[in-house]
Amino acid sequence: MRDEDICQFVLDLCRNEGATDASVMVMENEEKMIRFSNNQITVIKDLDETSASIFVQIKERKVGINVYDLSRRKLKAAVKRAVETAAKSQPGDIYAPLPKGPFKYDDRLMNQREILLDSEELVGSVQEAVDAALKEGGKRIAGSLIGRNVQVTIMTSGDVFARTKKSTLELSVRAFVNEHASGHSLSIASKPEDFDPKSAGAEAGTLAKLSSNPVQGTPGKFTAILGPMVFADLANQIGRFASAFYVDAGISFLGDKIGEKIASEVVSISDDPSAAGTYGAFPFDAEGLPTKRTPILEKGVLKNYLHNSTTAKKFNTESTANAGLIVPHPFNLIVEPCNSSVEKMINSIDDGLYLTNNWYLRYQNYKTGDFSTIPRDAMFLIRKGEIERAVRELRISDNILRILKNVKELSRERKWVKWWEVDVPTLTPAVLVEQVNFTKSTN
Amino acid sequence: MIDFEDYLKMIIDLASEKGASYAEARFQEDAFESTLLKNGIPEVTSFDTKRGISIRVIVDGALGFGATNRMNKNDIRNLVAKVVSSAKEASRMRESKIRFEEGATGKERFEIKPRIKFESVSTESRIELLREADTAAIEAARSIGINLPGRYISLDTAITTKIIITSDGADVRSSIPRVSIDSILTAFDPQKGYAQRTISLGESSGWEAVERWDLPVRLRNESTSLGQTLLNAESFESGRYDVVLGPEVVGIVSHESAGHPAEADRILGRESAQAGETYLTKESVGIKVGSEVINVVDDPTIPHSFGYYLYDDEGVRARRRYLIKNGRIHEFLHNRETAHEFGTESNASSRSVSYDREPIVRMSNTFVEPGEYSFEELIEGISNGIYIKNFMEWNIDDRRYNQKYVGLEAYKIENGTLAKRIRNPVIEITTPSLWSAVDAVGKDLEFSAATCGKGDPMQGIPVWTGGPHLRLRGIFVGGSA
Repeated sequence: MRDEDICQFVLDLCRNEGATDASVMVMENEEKMIRFSNNQITVIKDLDETSASIFVQIKERKVGINVYDLSRRKLKAAVKRAVETAAKSQPGDIYAPLPKGPFKYDDRLMNQREILLDSEELVGSVQEAVDAALKEGGKRIAGSLIGRNVQVTIMTSGDVFARTKKSTLELSVRAFVNEHASGHSLSIASKPEDFDPKSAGAEAGTLAKLSSNPVQGTPGKFTAILGPMVFADLANQIGRFASAFYVDAGISFLGDKIGEKIASEVVSISDDPSAAGTYGAFPFDAEGLPTKRTPILEKGVLKNYLHNSTTAKKFNTESTANAGLIVPHPFNLIVEPCNSSVEKMINSIDDGLYLTNNWYLRYQNYKTGDFSTIPRDAMFLIRKGEIERAVRELRISDNILRILKNVKELSRERKWVKWWEVDVPTLTPAVLVEQVNFTKSTN
Repeated sequence: MIDFEDYLKMIIDLASEKGASYAEARFQEDAFESTLLKNGIPEVTSFDTKRGISIRVIVDGALGFGATNRMNKNDIRNLVAKVVSSAKEASRMRESKIRFEEGATGKERFEIKPRIKFESVSTESRIELLREADTAAIEAARSIGINLPGRYISLDTAITTKIIITSDGADVRSSIPRVSIDSILTAFDPQKGYAQRTISLGESSGWEAVERWDLPVRLRNESTSLGQTLLNAESFESGRYDVVLGPEVVGIVSHESAGHPAEADRILGRESAQAGETYLTKESVGIKVGSEVINVVDDPTIPHSFGYYLYDDEGVRARRRYLIKNGRIHEFLHNRETAHEFGTESNASSRSVSYDREPIVRMSNTFVEPGEYSFEELIEGISNGIYIKNFMEWNIDDRRYNQKYVGLEAYKIENGTLAKRIRNPVIEITTPSLWSAVDAVGKDLEFSAATCGKGDPMQGIPVWTGGPHLRLRGIFVGGSA
């Protein structure tokens, strides 16, 4: 069956079985990944998958099913099970019908040009990144390159029918000079002409070389420049915990703070899947609503949570088109820039640190936002307006709301970040934060 | 199942014909049912039957992997051709040729037969159980005068079926049921603020595990303890203390500070850009990293453990592995690729979380082996110390050398007895310092369930972490707000 036939078949079955609302999303995924380490390819992977996500509501009762066998027999059995389970389930507290379409979607977001997932070409890109990193002084180069073509077809009981194609390229490259000196960089793009493995490799190699011979860092409170890879991780935390689901569950540090100034007024973060041509752009959410820009933080004030229809009804507001049928989520985070630069920030600091990457962020308490994370790769000590030397083995142990309040400057230049540690594509500048608390091991 | 077996054999034949020196084919089906209760309200029930076929080949010394859920001969043939061709292309960027150690692979079938099948427990009964536990948690909190504004409880059951065959003779079939419960409780008091507890339970068993867990009693106790910590825990002076760690803390330490460093693929740098490397090297076997009383093992063969298996995903028979023996690095976790590189045999550490993920080196059930001391004996010799029963925040750097653990339920130890509750004790320490500070090992043994993240794309795999109580002498404990 064609994808739209699968959708129609399932939707008809859901209606016949007694669902009040139903949606079907069929995803075709073609993916090639190359992983490399020690300047060699460790594995090359090819995925060809088609799956369907079916969501059934009988008023307040909800059931979701993911199906990987798309034969009529299996689809029929899946729908029957979903509707029967929903009928017998205890009801939730909210019934919000799926949005009533049809909707018009932004043409610029639909049907991107497919990327040719050619092994020779992609291996060539990896070679280019590795060579550039070696040339700049890296000794061991590792990373991954992912090329992906996805087709998504959605049909809902709200008269939504849409199909879109999306293609992406994603390179993460880490260069080592030795076990304590490394640099990490990225290139992510939604079209080949924006993809730049050479520059990513060169930056990783340069950072690795600059971070050679690091000394043990000193704990304490310092002014810190958080490079784009670091602030993207924090912006992801804002995006994730802006989901009304987590707010409602009582596990978000953003809970009960709408309208409050929770960050410095230079901080503005939005989710914008409607930003055409960017990595995380997408035309519709999982309920079929056309996506749009949603301010989360505007000049430091918490403006919106991210909603689907159900959470919106519970919070007495409108959906922000961020479904997730159960958990609303950000698609594409954008941090607004200011007029500074990393160079200006360094010049303004008497005694501080410059972090280029971090890893392993864990919370003490989701509700308060107490957390720690580990700077990794190139980290530099700044003294009297200049980089003095590389340092290592420190940890940020702080509170995310406190960090947001202590942001003083943002650079004009921004970078797109998405990699193993940062799930949601994020466009962010480098950020200067005062009084960041750093700790270290005590033996 | 016959069709899938035919496909697997076809994959091996086709790959070999096309020039693969090694070929491996796997069918895997993971059938999940998940139920979620949020603040007492059923949120959603979901079913997910993920199934498909994967292929892994070595061609011209390069490794290729591919997967599809399109189960027809044409698509599978195309995939084999693509994977072999991709591997050939990748071989351009291989100076050293990948080879697999030629150790013994098995022809075996293993399964866990549930005493109570998941399908015999209706969705309504599952939700009812979660509601009962939720109510018990609220009532316990109320009885000591606090609120529980955030209550998140999920219940997941899964049955994983695998068939693995390789061109060098492995033929392993398995069927494993798994059940897990994850909960986050958030307690609030207007004067004291918030405290949060995360609870994870998991076994490779049928529904009988859930009955044994007695979730309402467990959440009632957790809620009471959380409330008492919120209300009564006091700040304390940072400094050097003798410290007793509870099994839950010892479990995460075993996993993060003994298990991950021992993964041979990290030692070789295969995870450098993602999950990181390790402070250990190929030459580290035999080096002293802890006191002589420390023995850390990883053992997939523990019946009903969350990380249970008898053969790994390369068809190698599993066994107990001593990662640290008498305080010295004893053995690394190997798959067939790393074993060849190290000139040793695979110890069956190769696991994949689903059909569309490559098998990589993983832990299973990692824990400190019990010793001889009772809990009372561990604390009786401590005049001014700290007991950390469980933890909240933790992390460790990507060389697995500098770690941080923040205790939740914790007490001062004064003159050999437990005294007042203390708030947020922080241990931030290097791996050898931590293991070297241990001078006594408890005779008890408890496990916690966890989902370990590694790989690219990320693979979250079920494991147990555990151990007995441990006593550490003179380590620095920081107090946080």
